[in-house]
Amino acid sequence: MGDSNTQEIIKEYILLNQNQIYRLAFSYVHNKDDALDIVQESIYKAMAGKRSLHKSDSVRPWLYRIVVNTALDFLRRKKREAVPHEDILLRGESAADDRYEDIDLKRALDSLPDMYRSVVVLRYFEDLTLEEIAGILNENLSTVKTRLYKSLKLLRVEMSEAE
Amino acid sequence: MNKQDLEQLKQQYRDTPIPKELDFVVRKALQENGGTTMESKRSHKGMKIAAASVAAAFVVITAGANISPVFAATLGNVPVVGSLVKVLTFREYTMDDGTYHANLKTPAVEGLESNKPLENSLNQKYLEENKKLYEQFEAEVAELKKNGGGHLGVDSGYEVKCDDDAILSIGRYVVNTVGSSSTTMKYDTIDKKNQVLITLPSLFRDEQYVGVISKNIRQQMIDRNKADPDKIYWVEGIDAGEGTELFQNISAEQNFYINTDHKLVISFDKYEVAPGYMGVVDFVIPTDLIRDLLVGNEYIR
Repeated sequence: MGDSNTQEIIKEYILLNQNQIYRLAFSYVHNKDDALDIVQESIYKAMAGKRSLHKSDSVRPWLYRIVVNTALDFLRRKKREAVPHEDILLRGESAADDRYEDIDLKRALDSLPDMYRSVVVLRYFEDLTLEEIAGILNENLSTVKTRLYKSLKLLRVEMSEAE
Repeated sequence: MNKQDLEQLKQQYRDTPIPKELDFVVRKALQENGGTTMESKRSHKGMKIAAASVAAAFVVITAGANISPVFAATLGNVPVVGSLVKVLTFREYTMDDGTYHANLKTPAVEGLESNKPLENSLNQKYLEENKKLYEQFEAEVAELKKNGGGHLGVDSGYEVKCDDDAILSIGRYVVNTVGSSSTTMKYDTIDKKNQVLITLPSLFRDEQYVGVISKNIRQQMIDRNKADPDKIYWVEGIDAGEGTELFQNISAEQNFYINTDHKLVISFDKYEVAPGYMGVVDFVIPTDLIRDLLVGNEYIR
Protein backbone atom coordinates (compact mmCIF):
# COMPACT_ATOMS: atom_id res chain seq x y z
CA MET A 1 0.00 0.00 0.00
CA GLY A 2 1.38 3.38 -0.96
CA ASP A 3 2.65 5.56 1.79
CA SER A 4 0.60 8.62 0.91
CA ASN A 5 -2.45 6.47 0.39
CA THR A 6 -2.12 5.01 3.89
CA GLN A 7 -1.68 8.47 5.24
CA GLU A 8 -4.89 9.66 3.62
CA ILE A 9 -6.83 6.70 4.98
CA ILE A 10 -5.57 7.36 8.49
CA LYS A 11 -6.21 11.09 8.25
CA GLU A 12 -9.71 10.57 7.02
CA TYR A 13 -10.44 8.04 9.73
CA ILE A 14 -9.18 10.40 12.41
CA LEU A 15 -11.15 13.35 11.09
CA LEU A 16 -14.37 11.39 10.93
CA ASN A 17 -13.94 9.63 14.25
CA GLN A 18 -12.38 12.35 16.34
CA ASN A 19 -15.22 12.29 18.88
CA GLN A 20 -14.79 8.59 19.53
CA ILE A 21 -11.05 8.95 19.86
CA TYR A 22 -11.54 11.76 22.32
CA ARG A 23 -14.04 9.74 24.39
CA LEU A 24 -11.66 6.84 24.60
CA ALA A 25 -8.88 9.13 25.80
CA PHE A 26 -11.23 10.85 28.21
CA SER A 27 -12.25 7.52 29.76
CA TYR A 28 -8.69 7.17 31.01
CA VAL A 29 -7.90 10.65 32.27
CA HIS A 30 -11.30 12.18 33.05
CA ASN A 31 -10.39 15.68 32.16
CA LYS A 32 -10.63 17.67 29.00
CA ASP A 33 -7.12 19.09 28.77
CA ASP A 34 -5.33 15.80 29.33
CA ALA A 35 -7.68 14.02 26.94
CA LEU A 36 -6.96 16.61 24.25
CA ASP A 37 -3.22 16.18 24.84
CA ILE A 38 -3.59 12.44 24.40
CA VAL A 39 -5.57 12.88 21.20
CA GLN A 40 -2.90 15.21 19.88
CA GLU A 41 -0.02 12.94 20.80
CA SER A 42 -1.82 9.88 19.42
CA ILE A 43 -2.21 11.62 16.09
CA TYR A 44 1.50 12.45 15.98
CA LYS A 45 2.30 8.83 16.78
CA ALA A 46 -0.16 7.52 14.23
CA MET A 47 1.27 9.68 11.47
CA ALA A 48 4.84 8.87 12.43
CA GLY A 49 4.14 5.15 12.64
CA LYS A 50 1.84 4.84 9.67
CA ARG A 51 4.08 2.17 8.15
CA SER A 52 3.05 -0.24 10.88
CA LEU A 53 -0.48 -0.27 9.50
CA HIS A 54 -0.63 -3.17 7.11
CA LYS A 55 -3.16 -3.51 4.41
CA SER A 56 -5.00 -6.34 6.13
CA ASP A 57 -5.37 -4.40 9.36
CA SER A 58 -8.34 -2.20 9.80
CA VAL A 59 -7.56 1.28 11.00
CA ARG A 60 -9.70 1.25 14.10
CA PRO A 61 -7.96 -1.37 16.27
CA TRP A 62 -4.61 -0.12 15.06
CA LEU A 63 -5.39 3.44 16.07
CA TYR A 64 -7.08 2.45 19.32
CA ARG A 65 -3.95 0.63 20.30
CA ILE A 66 -2.01 3.85 19.89
CA VAL A 67 -4.57 5.86 21.85
CA VAL A 68 -4.78 3.33 24.68
CA ASN A 69 -1.01 3.08 24.97
CA THR A 70 -0.61 6.84 24.88
CA ALA A 71 -3.21 7.18 27.61
CA LEU A 72 -1.58 4.49 29.76
CA ASP A 73 1.86 6.07 29.28
CA PHE A 74 0.40 9.37 30.29
CA LEU A 75 -1.14 7.92 33.44
CA ARG A 76 2.09 6.17 34.38
CA ARG A 77 4.04 9.37 33.91
CA LYS A 78 1.52 11.30 35.93
CA LYS A 79 1.62 8.78 38.77
CA ARG A 80 5.38 9.16 38.92
CA GLU A 81 5.26 12.93 38.87
CA ALA A 82 2.23 13.87 40.81
CA VAL A 83 0.99 14.00 44.35
CA PRO A 84 -2.19 12.31 43.36
CA HIS A 85 -4.28 11.62 46.37
CA GLU A 86 -5.70 14.98 47.25
CA ASP A 87 -8.17 15.33 44.43
CA ILE A 88 -9.27 11.75 44.82
CA LEU A 89 -10.04 12.39 48.47
CA LEU A 90 -11.94 15.54 47.61
CA ARG A 91 -13.93 13.73 45.01
CA GLY A 92 -14.87 11.12 47.60
CA GLU A 93 -16.21 13.76 49.94
CA SER A 94 -18.27 15.70 47.49
CA ALA A 95 -19.86 12.52 46.20
CA ALA A 96 -22.15 12.54 49.21
CA ASP A 97 -23.93 15.57 47.74
CA ASP A 98 -24.43 13.98 44.39
CA ARG A 99 -27.96 13.12 43.55
CA TYR A 100 -27.29 10.99 40.50
CA GLU A 101 -28.21 7.44 41.27
CA ASP A 102 -25.76 5.93 38.85
CA ILE A 103 -22.76 7.69 40.32
CA ASP A 104 -21.72 4.68 42.39
CA LEU A 105 -21.59 2.50 39.37
CA LYS A 106 -19.61 5.06 37.46
CA ARG A 107 -17.20 5.46 40.33
CA ALA A 108 -16.87 1.71 40.60
CA LEU A 109 -15.84 1.59 36.97
CA ASP A 110 -13.49 4.52 37.32
CA SER A 111 -11.79 2.97 40.30
CA LEU A 112 -11.00 -0.26 38.48
CA PRO A 113 -7.32 -0.72 37.69
CA ASP A 114 -6.55 0.57 34.19
CA MET A 115 -6.01 -2.85 32.67
CA TYR A 116 -9.45 -4.00 33.79
CA ARG A 117 -11.23 -0.81 32.87
CA SER A 118 -9.71 -0.84 29.37
CA VAL A 119 -11.28 -4.19 28.66
CA VAL A 120 -14.73 -3.05 29.80
CA VAL A 121 -14.57 0.19 27.83
CA LEU A 122 -13.37 -1.45 24.65
CA ARG A 123 -15.71 -4.42 24.84
CA TYR A 124 -18.94 -2.82 26.00
CA PHE A 125 -18.68 0.85 25.09
CA GLU A 126 -16.70 0.63 21.86
CA ASP A 127 -18.13 -2.77 20.87
CA LEU A 128 -14.83 -4.24 19.81
CA THR A 129 -14.39 -7.99 19.62
CA LEU A 130 -12.28 -9.83 22.17
CA GLU A 131 -9.76 -10.61 19.43
CA GLU A 132 -9.43 -6.94 18.55
CA ILE A 133 -9.03 -6.06 22.21
CA ALA A 134 -6.32 -8.65 22.60
CA GLY A 135 -4.52 -6.99 19.68
CA ILE A 136 -4.96 -3.51 21.10
CA LEU A 137 -3.72 -4.41 24.56
CA ASN A 138 -1.04 -6.76 23.23
CA GLU A 139 -2.28 -9.65 25.35
CA ASN A 140 -3.45 -13.08 24.37
CA LEU A 141 -7.11 -13.84 24.02
CA SER A 142 -7.50 -15.91 27.17
CA THR A 143 -5.93 -13.14 29.29
CA VAL A 144 -8.44 -10.66 27.89
CA LYS A 145 -11.31 -13.04 28.62
CA THR A 146 -10.09 -13.55 32.17
CA ARG A 147 -9.76 -9.83 32.69
CA LEU A 148 -13.19 -9.10 31.38
CA TYR A 149 -14.65 -11.69 33.67
CA LYS A 150 -12.67 -10.35 36.61
CA SER A 151 -13.72 -6.76 35.78
CA LEU A 152 -17.37 -7.62 35.86
CA LYS A 153 -16.86 -9.46 39.11
CA LEU A 154 -15.00 -6.49 40.60
CA LEU A 155 -17.78 -4.15 39.55
CA ARG A 156 -20.35 -6.34 41.22
CA VAL A 157 -18.29 -6.48 44.40
CA GLU A 158 -17.96 -2.73 44.39
CA MET A 159 -21.67 -2.42 43.95
CA SER A 160 -22.62 -4.60 46.87
CA GLU A 161 -20.16 -2.79 49.12
CA ALA A 162 -21.68 0.51 48.15
CA GLU A 163 -25.17 -0.62 49.00
CA MET B 1 -24.61 -4.90 38.36
CA ASN B 2 -26.83 -5.99 35.54
CA LYS B 3 -27.12 -5.45 31.85
CA GLN B 4 -29.19 -2.34 32.28
CA ASP B 5 -26.51 -0.73 34.43
CA LEU B 6 -23.98 -1.47 31.79
CA GLU B 7 -26.21 0.14 29.17
CA GLN B 8 -26.47 3.17 31.38
CA LEU B 9 -22.71 3.36 31.74
CA LYS B 10 -22.35 3.02 28.01
CA GLN B 11 -24.76 5.88 27.51
CA GLN B 12 -22.73 8.01 29.88
CA TYR B 13 -19.61 7.12 28.01
CA ARG B 14 -21.29 8.09 24.74
CA ASP B 15 -22.39 11.36 26.30
CA THR B 16 -18.88 12.46 27.20
CA PRO B 17 -19.04 16.12 26.21
CA ILE B 18 -16.88 16.88 23.21
CA PRO B 19 -14.92 20.09 23.71
CA LYS B 20 -15.15 22.64 20.98
CA GLU B 21 -11.38 22.77 20.61
CA LEU B 22 -11.19 19.11 19.65
CA ASP B 23 -11.68 19.67 15.95
CA PHE B 24 -9.06 22.37 15.95
CA VAL B 25 -6.56 20.26 17.92
CA VAL B 26 -7.11 17.30 15.60
CA ARG B 27 -6.71 19.31 12.42
CA LYS B 28 -3.65 21.04 13.72
CA ALA B 29 -2.06 17.77 14.81
CA LEU B 30 -2.77 16.23 11.41
CA GLN B 31 -1.30 19.22 9.71
CA GLU B 32 1.84 19.11 11.79
CA ASN B 33 2.41 15.40 11.25
CA GLY B 34 5.70 14.03 10.11
CA GLY B 35 8.10 16.67 11.30
CA THR B 36 7.03 16.20 14.85
CA THR B 37 8.41 13.56 17.16
CA MET B 38 6.50 11.66 19.76
CA GLU B 39 8.32 13.47 22.50
CA SER B 40 6.86 16.72 21.33
CA LYS B 41 6.00 18.78 24.31
CA ARG B 42 3.87 21.11 22.33
CA SER B 43 0.52 21.21 23.98
CA HIS B 44 -2.81 22.39 22.69
CA LYS B 45 -3.19 24.35 25.92
CA GLY B 46 -1.07 27.19 24.67
CA MET B 47 -3.00 27.52 21.48
CA LYS B 48 -4.47 30.88 20.77
CA ILE B 49 -7.02 31.05 18.04
CA ALA B 50 -5.32 33.96 16.41
CA ALA B 51 -5.89 35.22 12.94
CA ALA B 52 -2.93 33.33 11.55
CA SER B 53 -3.96 29.95 12.89
CA VAL B 54 -7.53 30.48 11.78
CA ALA B 55 -6.22 31.12 8.32
CA ALA B 56 -4.14 27.95 8.57
CA ALA B 57 -7.18 25.94 9.58
CA PHE B 58 -9.01 27.15 6.50
CA VAL B 59 -6.18 26.06 4.30
CA VAL B 60 -6.44 22.59 5.79
CA ILE B 61 -10.15 22.45 5.25
CA THR B 62 -9.83 23.46 1.61
CA ALA B 63 -7.17 20.85 1.02
CA GLY B 64 -9.24 18.24 2.79
CA ALA B 65 -12.31 18.98 0.74
CA ASN B 66 -10.32 18.60 -2.45
CA ILE B 67 -8.71 15.35 -1.45
CA SER B 68 -11.62 13.40 -0.11
CA PRO B 69 -15.26 13.33 -1.13
CA VAL B 70 -16.12 11.69 2.20
CA PHE B 71 -14.53 14.54 4.05
CA ALA B 72 -16.24 17.09 1.84
CA ALA B 73 -19.59 15.46 2.58
CA THR B 74 -19.02 15.87 6.31
CA LEU B 75 -18.83 19.58 5.87
CA GLY B 76 -22.57 19.63 5.44
CA ASN B 77 -24.69 21.52 3.01
CA VAL B 78 -22.80 23.69 0.67
CA PRO B 79 -25.08 26.12 -1.06
CA VAL B 80 -23.16 27.09 -4.13
CA VAL B 81 -24.73 28.87 -7.04
CA GLY B 82 -22.43 29.33 -9.93
CA SER B 83 -19.78 31.23 -8.13
CA LEU B 84 -16.61 30.58 -6.21
CA VAL B 85 -17.72 32.81 -3.39
CA LYS B 86 -19.73 30.64 -1.08
CA VAL B 87 -20.60 29.87 2.48
CA LEU B 88 -20.25 26.50 4.11
CA THR B 89 -20.43 25.02 7.58
CA PHE B 90 -16.95 25.17 8.93
CA ARG B 91 -17.66 23.58 12.25
CA GLU B 92 -20.59 22.11 14.01
CA TYR B 93 -20.87 21.48 17.69
CA THR B 94 -23.73 19.45 19.10
CA MET B 95 -24.49 18.48 22.65
CA ASP B 96 -27.73 17.11 24.01
CA ASP B 97 -28.27 15.31 27.25
CA GLY B 98 -32.00 15.92 27.51
CA THR B 99 -31.69 18.84 29.90
CA TYR B 100 -29.02 20.88 28.24
CA HIS B 101 -28.62 21.11 24.55
CA ALA B 102 -26.47 23.10 22.20
CA ASN B 103 -26.18 23.06 18.46
CA LEU B 104 -23.71 25.59 17.16
CA LYS B 105 -22.94 25.85 13.48
CA THR B 106 -20.13 28.11 12.45
CA PRO B 107 -20.30 29.25 8.85
CA ALA B 108 -17.28 30.09 6.79
CA VAL B 109 -17.11 32.17 3.69
CA GLU B 110 -14.66 31.21 1.03
CA GLY B 111 -13.67 32.20 -2.45
CA LEU B 112 -13.01 35.89 -1.81
CA GLU B 113 -9.73 35.51 -3.64
CA SER B 114 -9.06 39.18 -4.22
CA ASN B 115 -10.08 40.24 -0.74
CA LYS B 116 -8.62 37.69 1.64
CA PRO B 117 -8.55 40.12 4.59
CA LEU B 118 -12.34 40.44 4.33
CA GLU B 119 -12.78 36.68 4.13
CA ASN B 120 -10.51 36.13 7.11
CA SER B 121 -12.08 38.80 9.23
CA LEU B 122 -15.60 37.51 8.54
CA ASN B 123 -14.61 33.96 9.31
CA GLN B 124 -12.76 34.95 12.42
CA LYS B 125 -15.78 36.91 13.55
CA TYR B 126 -18.01 33.85 13.03
CA LEU B 127 -15.58 31.63 14.87
CA GLU B 128 -15.27 33.99 17.79
CA GLU B 129 -19.01 34.51 18.06
CA ASN B 130 -19.57 30.79 18.31
CA LYS B 131 -16.67 30.32 20.67
CA LYS B 132 -18.19 32.93 22.94
CA LEU B 133 -21.61 31.29 22.70
CA TYR B 134 -20.11 27.98 23.63
CA GLU B 135 -18.21 29.37 26.62
CA GLN B 136 -21.30 31.20 27.78
CA PHE B 137 -23.31 28.01 27.43
CA GLU B 138 -20.78 25.99 29.43
CA ALA B 139 -20.72 28.60 32.18
CA GLU B 140 -24.50 28.74 32.36
CA VAL B 141 -24.80 24.97 32.49
CA ALA B 142 -22.25 24.82 35.29
CA GLU B 143 -24.15 27.50 37.16
CA LEU B 144 -27.46 25.69 36.70
CA LYS B 145 -26.02 22.37 37.80
CA LYS B 146 -24.70 24.00 40.95
CA ASN B 147 -28.13 25.41 41.68
CA GLY B 148 -30.00 22.17 41.22
CA GLY B 149 -30.40 21.97 37.46
CA GLY B 150 -32.77 23.27 34.84
CA HIS B 151 -33.27 23.38 31.12
CA LEU B 152 -31.07 25.34 28.81
CA GLY B 153 -30.56 25.35 25.12
CA VAL B 154 -28.67 27.33 22.54
CA ASP B 155 -28.81 26.99 18.79
CA SER B 156 -26.84 28.94 16.30
CA GLY B 157 -26.56 28.61 12.58
CA TYR B 158 -27.06 30.47 9.38
CA GLU B 159 -29.48 30.96 6.54
CA VAL B 160 -28.55 31.94 3.04
CA LYS B 161 -30.83 34.82 2.15
CA CYS B 162 -29.50 35.36 -1.31
CA ASP B 163 -26.81 33.61 -3.28
CA ASP B 164 -26.57 34.51 -6.94
CA ASP B 165 -23.98 35.90 -9.31
CA ALA B 166 -23.88 39.29 -7.69
CA ILE B 167 -24.58 38.84 -4.01
CA LEU B 168 -24.15 36.54 -1.08
CA SER B 169 -26.35 37.48 1.87
CA ILE B 170 -26.04 35.37 4.99
CA GLY B 171 -28.15 35.63 8.13
CA ARG B 172 -26.76 34.14 11.32
CA TYR B 173 -29.16 33.30 14.08
CA VAL B 174 -28.81 32.56 17.76
CA VAL B 175 -31.71 31.05 19.65
CA ASN B 176 -31.45 30.91 23.42
CA THR B 177 -33.94 28.67 25.16
CA VAL B 178 -34.47 29.16 28.85
CA GLY B 179 -38.14 28.55 29.44
CA SER B 180 -39.13 30.80 26.55
CA SER B 181 -36.74 31.50 23.75
CA SER B 182 -35.12 34.56 22.32
CA THR B 183 -33.75 34.93 18.84
CA THR B 184 -31.21 37.32 17.45
CA MET B 185 -30.22 37.65 13.83
CA LYS B 186 -27.16 39.19 12.28
CA TYR B 187 -26.52 39.58 8.59
CA ASP B 188 -23.58 39.96 6.28
CA THR B 189 -24.00 40.81 2.65
CA ILE B 190 -21.12 40.46 0.27
CA ASP B 191 -20.75 41.87 -3.21
CA LYS B 192 -19.29 38.89 -5.04
CA LYS B 193 -17.95 40.76 -8.04
CA ASN B 194 -16.17 43.53 -6.20
CA GLN B 195 -15.63 41.31 -3.17
CA VAL B 196 -16.59 43.87 -0.58
CA LEU B 197 -18.88 43.84 2.39
CA ILE B 198 -22.03 45.86 1.82
CA THR B 199 -23.17 48.01 4.72
CA LEU B 200 -26.49 49.78 4.88
CA PRO B 201 -25.03 53.29 4.64
CA SER B 202 -22.85 52.22 1.70
CA LEU B 203 -25.99 51.57 -0.36
CA PHE B 204 -27.19 55.17 -0.15
CA ARG B 205 -26.02 58.59 -1.22
CA ASP B 206 -26.70 60.18 2.15
CA GLU B 207 -28.54 59.70 5.42
CA GLN B 208 -32.00 60.49 4.07
CA TYR B 209 -32.69 56.79 3.80
CA VAL B 210 -33.14 56.48 7.58
CA GLY B 211 -36.21 58.70 7.57
CA VAL B 212 -37.70 57.34 4.33
CA ILE B 213 -37.32 53.69 5.32
CA SER B 214 -38.52 54.28 8.88
CA LYS B 215 -41.65 56.01 7.67
CA ASN B 216 -42.39 53.16 5.30
CA ILE B 217 -41.88 50.56 8.04
CA ARG B 218 -44.21 52.42 10.41
CA GLN B 219 -46.84 52.39 7.68
CA GLN B 220 -46.28 48.70 6.93
CA MET B 221 -46.70 47.90 10.62
CA ILE B 222 -50.08 49.64 10.70
CA ASP B 223 -51.18 48.03 7.42
CA ARG B 224 -50.27 44.57 8.66
CA ASN B 225 -52.15 45.19 11.90
CA LYS B 226 -55.23 46.30 10.00
CA ALA B 227 -55.14 43.18 7.87
CA ASP B 228 -54.61 40.93 10.87
CA PRO B 229 -55.34 42.43 14.32
CA ASP B 230 -53.26 39.68 15.95
CA LYS B 231 -50.16 41.25 14.46
CA ILE B 232 -49.04 43.79 17.01
CA TYR B 233 -46.15 46.17 16.62
CA TRP B 234 -44.97 48.77 19.04
CA VAL B 235 -45.73 51.77 16.91
CA GLU B 236 -47.88 54.86 17.15
CA GLY B 237 -51.33 54.01 15.77
CA ILE B 238 -51.52 50.53 17.27
CA ASP B 239 -52.69 50.15 20.83
CA ALA B 240 -49.90 48.21 22.43
CA GLY B 241 -50.64 48.99 26.07
CA GLU B 242 -49.09 51.52 28.39
CA GLY B 243 -45.40 52.04 28.85
CA THR B 244 -44.09 50.37 25.72
CA GLU B 245 -41.40 52.17 23.85
CA LEU B 246 -42.67 52.93 20.37
CA PHE B 247 -40.69 52.40 17.22
CA GLN B 248 -39.56 55.66 15.66
CA ASN B 249 -36.63 55.19 13.35
CA ILE B 250 -34.27 52.49 12.23
CA SER B 251 -30.66 53.00 13.16
CA ALA B 252 -28.28 53.96 10.38
CA GLU B 253 -26.66 50.53 10.74
CA GLN B 254 -29.90 48.59 11.10
CA ASN B 255 -29.86 44.86 10.45
CA PHE B 256 -30.62 44.24 6.80
CA TYR B 257 -30.19 41.77 4.01
CA ILE B 258 -30.88 41.59 0.32
CA ASN B 259 -33.35 38.93 -0.75
CA THR B 260 -33.42 36.81 -3.89
CA ASP B 261 -35.52 39.45 -5.68
CA HIS B 262 -32.78 41.96 -4.92
CA LYS B 263 -35.06 43.89 -2.61
CA LEU B 264 -33.79 45.52 0.54
CA VAL B 265 -35.12 43.81 3.67
CA ILE B 266 -34.91 45.46 7.07
CA SER B 267 -34.91 43.03 9.97
CA PHE B 268 -35.69 43.40 13.66
CA ASP B 269 -34.84 40.96 16.43
CA LYS B 270 -37.46 39.42 18.61
CA TYR B 271 -38.72 42.02 21.14
CA GLU B 272 -37.08 44.86 19.21
CA VAL B 273 -40.26 46.36 17.74
CA ALA B 274 -42.95 43.82 18.61
CA PRO B 275 -44.07 41.44 21.34
CA GLY B 276 -42.18 38.16 21.70
CA TYR B 277 -44.71 35.99 19.90
CA MET B 278 -44.09 37.97 16.71
CA GLY B 279 -40.53 36.63 16.64
CA VAL B 280 -38.01 38.17 14.28
CA VAL B 281 -39.81 40.60 11.98
CA ASP B 282 -38.74 41.60 8.49
CA PHE B 283 -39.92 44.39 6.23
CA VAL B 284 -39.31 44.39 2.50
CA ILE B 285 -38.74 47.97 1.40
CA PRO B 286 -40.33 48.83 -2.00
CA THR B 287 -37.50 49.70 -4.33
CA ASP B 288 -39.48 52.53 -5.99
CA LEU B 289 -39.46 54.35 -2.70
CA ILE B 290 -35.70 54.41 -2.32
CA ARG B 291 -34.53 54.31 -5.95
CA ASP B 292 -33.49 57.95 -5.98
CA LEU B 293 -31.54 57.58 -2.76
CA LEU B 294 -29.48 54.59 -3.87
CA VAL B 295 -25.91 54.93 -5.03
CA GLY B 296 -26.64 52.62 -7.95
CA ASN B 297 -29.04 49.91 -9.03
CA GLU B 298 -26.49 47.16 -8.91
CA TYR B 299 -27.63 45.53 -5.69
CA ILE B 300 -31.18 46.71 -5.17
CA ARG B 301 -33.56 46.46 -8.09
